[in-house]
Amino acid sequence: MKLLSQLSIIVAVCLLGEGISALLPFAFPSSVIAMLLLLLLLILGAVKERHIDSVADFFLKNMSLFFIPSATGILEHFGLISKALLPFLLICVLTTLLTFASTAWTVTFVRKLQKGGHSHD
Amino acid sequence: MINSLTISPLFGILLTCGSYVLGVKIQEKLKHPLANPMILATVFCIAFLLIFDIPLENYRIGSSYVSLFLGPATASLALSIYRQYPVLKKNLLPVLAGTAVGSAVSMSSVLLLCKLFRLEEVWAQSLLSKSVTTAIAIEITAQQGGLPSITVAAVLITGLLGAVFAPLLIRLLRVQDPVAAGLAIGTASHALGTSKALQIGEVEAAMSSIAIGVAGLITVLFAMFVG
Repeated sequence: MKLLSQLSIIVAVCLLGEGISALLPFAFPSSVIAMLLLLLLLILGAVKERHIDSVADFFLKNMSLFFIPSATGILEHFGLISKALLPFLLICVLTTLLTFASTAWTVTFVRKLQKGGHSHD
Repeated sequence: MINSLTISPLFGILLTCGSYVLGVKIQEKLKHPLANPMILATVFCIAFLLIFDIPLENYRIGSSYVSLFLGPATASLALSIYRQYPVLKKNLLPVLAGTAVGSAVSMSSVLLLCKLFRLEEVWAQSLLSKSVTTAIAIEITAQQGGLPSITVAAVLITGLLGAVFAPLLIRLLRVQDPVAAGLAIGTASHALGTSKALQIGEVEAAMSSIAIGVAGLITVLFAMFVG
């Protein structure tokens, strides 16, 4: 019963997310709205960790199960990918490197500023 | 006979779950980041469909029920953000600044490189979200009109790059601050990179897992202004 009630809470929040998404004047993924709603409910204490943790942890631990159907769809796009395989791989490598470096440097810079600010306090 | 069996929704559900279980079991044996359960499971599914000449449409009848749970799985990310909430509050400014700059750099470099390589429009649409966690990346791709399967492949490659090369990048770029290293790992290579951050240190791991959710959210916001 515990699992079903936990699943019900999570699914209810998702359905609410779909409702809100439909009402918004711009496109915004409903599952991300549901994530924000659930986070808000947890922070406010309206939903406690123990109300959802068994099912949510199952989802988190086995998240990649839910991507397999999409990934298998790549079967249809072998032609498209083989035409651009090298640029595709290059983009993956370069953007990962750039993202890593820019994030690391930004955080280092901000934290130095923060420490500088505190020493003047 | 094969057609009437594979047309049942149970076939797609079984092939997806069965392949995943097999993938997890193999990873438990090999314990190597490249023996990723999702890669293995996807290879099993594709091989099975090709060998027995089963149309993808038949597989989709059942596998769409598995995809249906992507929504609740994404919502569950709230719990992992919530568990890091005290650390997030304490480091709010570096987290927001780092993930915002990192996400912007990721997205603009994707767009720029796609132009540079003269790739068809669909590539930019499918790769825009490649640095964020798959659940959110798929949503962004759906809105951009890209191909989810390419997104999943790119996100996976990105994550594996992070998981394998994070320690090297930290040394090469002389990142001495563990908070900076953790946020860089999570922003650049989401959950797969975070699995590596867990081995590097506690601060790195916490920061990396915070960056997954925050970078995902920020990328969704930025993507609204693209395309």
